[in-house]
Amino acid sequence: MNPLRAKELVIDIPGRDDGQPLSFTVEPGQIWGVLGPNGAGKTTLLHTLAGLRPPRQGTVCLADYSLTELRRRQISQQLGLVFQERQDGFPATVLETALIGRHPWLSPWQMESGEDERIARQALETLDVGQLSDRLVSTLSGGERQRVAIATVLTQAPDTWLLDEPTNHLDLHHQVSVLELLTEQARSGRSVFMCLHDLNLAARWCNHLLLLYPNGDACWGPAERMLAPAALERLYDQELLTVEVDGAPLFVPKKAR
Amino acid sequence: MLTFPTPLQVIVAASLLWQGTAVAGEVCARDDTGEQVCLEQPASRIAALSPGATELVWAAGAGDQVVAVVSYSDYPEEAKDVTSVGSHTRMDLERLMELEPDLVIGWVTGNPPEQLEALKELGLPVFSIEPRTFEAVSHTIERLATLAGTEEEGFAEAHRFRRGIAELEAQYRDAEPVPVFYQVWDEPLMTVNDEHLIGKVITLCGGVNVFGDLERLVPRISPEAVIGANPEAILAGGMGEENRHWLTRWEEFPSIEATGKDNLYFIPPSLVQRPTPRMLEGSRLFCEKLDDARARR
Amino acid sequence: MSRPLLKPLLVLVLAGLAAMVLSVGTGSVSVPPGQVLAVILGEGSGLQQTLVLELRLPRTLSAFATGGLLAVAGALMQVLLRNPLADPYVLGLSGGAAVGALLAMLAGLGGLIVSGSAFAGALLATLMVFGLAHGTGSWTPSRLLLTGVVVAAGWGAVITLMLAISPAQRLPGMLYWLMGDVSYARSPWPALVLLLLVCLLVVPLGRSLNVLARGPMQAAALGVAVRPLEWTIYILASLLTATAVTMAGSIGFVGLVVPHMLRLVLGNDQRLILPACALAGGTLLVLADTLARVVIAPEQLPVGVITALLGVPTFLYLLYRSR
Repeated sequence: MNPLRAKELVIDIPGRDDGQPLSFTVEPGQIWGVLGPNGAGKTTLLHTLAGLRPPRQGTVCLADYSLTELRRRQISQQLGLVFQERQDGFPATVLETALIGRHPWLSPWQMESGEDERIARQALETLDVGQLSDRLVSTLSGGERQRVAIATVLTQAPDTWLLDEPTNHLDLHHQVSVLELLTEQARSGRSVFMCLHDLNLAARWCNHLLLLYPNGDACWGPAERMLAPAALERLYDQELLTVEVDGAPLFVPKKAR
Repeated sequence: MLTFPTPLQVIVAASLLWQGTAVAGEVCARDDTGEQVCLEQPASRIAALSPGATELVWAAGAGDQVVAVVSYSDYPEEAKDVTSVGSHTRMDLERLMELEPDLVIGWVTGNPPEQLEALKELGLPVFSIEPRTFEAVSHTIERLATLAGTEEEGFAEAHRFRRGIAELEAQYRDAEPVPVFYQVWDEPLMTVNDEHLIGKVITLCGGVNVFGDLERLVPRISPEAVIGANPEAILAGGMGEENRHWLTRWEEFPSIEATGKDNLYFIPPSLVQRPTPRMLEGSRLFCEKLDDARARR
Repeated sequence: MSRPLLKPLLVLVLAGLAAMVLSVGTGSVSVPPGQVLAVILGEGSGLQQTLVLELRLPRTLSAFATGGLLAVAGALMQVLLRNPLADPYVLGLSGGAAVGALLAMLAGLGGLIVSGSAFAGALLATLMVFGLAHGTGSWTPSRLLLTGVVVAAGWGAVITLMLAISPAQRLPGMLYWLMGDVSYARSPWPALVLLLLVCLLVVPLGRSLNVLARGPMQAAALGVAVRPLEWTIYILASLLTATAVTMAGSIGFVGLVVPHMLRLVLGNDQRLILPACALAGGTLLVLADTLARVVIAPEQLPVGVITALLGVPTFLYLLYRSR
């Protein structure tokens, strides 16, 4: 697979200084977590990495090609993105929604085949929404929709997963099974890059972290190095208590008195 | 689209080649769009696509040959019994074709050109008219009489009209001018300019149309403009043949000379608003009213 | 997937043919239904030949083409805006096309120039509505509709102005742009060919349109070149509207009613919906025009009256439900 690489990247957030340019490579097998307070630019970073927004400076590359040199279709065969917000203009069923994940792989004249449908159904099963495949998406709960969105990208089968708060709306069990699914993907040679607001989920499942500060500062590296309580307290402007459970740190906010 | 010459076009082309050697029974006339219309024999089934055309065909003595009219063709009385093919702006071409006319009298500014064109493509001879002068009224009657084979009656009627207008012209050539406002419509307020046939009636009777110089044939104006123009006589049609209602609005403005002298006259609209021989009667009435106004000086 | 696509289309083709047979067999002059086929095959009296072949058939085909074009234009704009209320008439495309065509006619031009000018007008109207409604944020239904309605009202005023200042002999020809009327339509063939071409074009574009219907970001993430596709839709919708308007004036609400009804029944796969719109839109307008021809014959109604009577309640219902 072609690793996703940011080179001297400055994301474009209007009215904010350039801050620290980002240079990192998301290698196969890695699971990256992006941590930062609200408004730090996590979603913008994700969209920039996916080539959906132009960066202010620097480039995003797949292998040796800048995203701007590649066709959208080529990009979408390698990069999948789970959005945080989704709009449903027209009614569509769960299966139809998952099936559009096959779009990058079909030529304009091709109709979805039985094989495509099988892939989509399997993805839905994996996300535990297989029994909903004939329901309209608009009738689902928030958590069910979230899982359909992840199933769509699973159908797309990209080498690199970009996810914007994938655990949103999910109950504890499904949060864990989604993160396990992503771990499984990474283990099979793919890579994962996701924004998370739950520090502890990130600490437990990510092997790389990127801390994004509201002023544009950033630092990144292997998870164990980044999970320094002082850095995290500065990141969230919140005092933290740290305990160790099951061999990993667990962070609990301090109560204000 | 591919078009093949219609039989008519072939005839026209042939007639151009063989000028002077008219086929026995063939009749020709040039219509008001400049097109030469020829019939192998005089028309016996005429479709008149405007109320004015209907009157003119009757005036030409060919009333019995009319098989189709449009809405509001109310003169002469017999015209009301003829099959209607809808309104002059949107005709039922099917019904028209079913009546199998051999001559269609179109109205240059009243019928949609697309529909007239369609009739031509269907092979019907279309003779489009638009009389804008007294002479054109006579000339149209003559041309229709020629096409319908009723020259005797038609030419007599044309002559009667021409002479009547000439008499009025002679009578009022040196009459004292009267500033006149003629009201075609009430809401919106509309009048005519000198180019309009009614404008020519005003001139004929020695009147001076206060809005004669306006650009449009039937201009829309404001009541203020009428008050400002201060006509000595106001003449109006109305929503019917005996409805003076439109004149009452001017009674509120005594500053207008016409109101002050009570020179507010009703003219039955059907007598002047269609370019037909009835205009002679209308013109006479019009001139009498202006005489009346002069008498009150 | 191809089998479920074909069946509804086949049903619609049959419905369209039935409507055309009804239309060709109906009129102020009665031609027995049995005779119609005979006449088309070259028999029957001269009058019947004229009625069926030269009056009814071209008009029926024109109505079909116009309805199909408008319905496809409406469906395309709905995908573009992700809003089922979009319609070439409501958003002022028809108005822009009518102004373009009238300007060309006022200048004394004819033929292709009128069509080209109508196309330019429709394109300008599209760009205005999209540019203004988009502004800095995203499209909200109310913002889009308000912009469209205001722009459409502006076109209406321009048309009235042009009618007021145009010379009398042009008036009857121009008036029908306001009403929408296929009785002036001449040759249906260019429009029918365009309709067919568009239907063929949307087959390869269809899946991309399905993805675009889920939002431009999502579509881009799934490999759709969003900008080029959006431009293609703008231009196609304008071209279709302009062709329909040059043929029959501005006919309202076909682009709204037809796609809406079809989506209720057939779902939202554009590869099915767009050809289905072409067929059902054509069928609807053929039926509406048949009604317009006979309901108060010999007086003829403009077909726009009938479609508006159908479309306004549908539009209001959609608006009510979308809250």
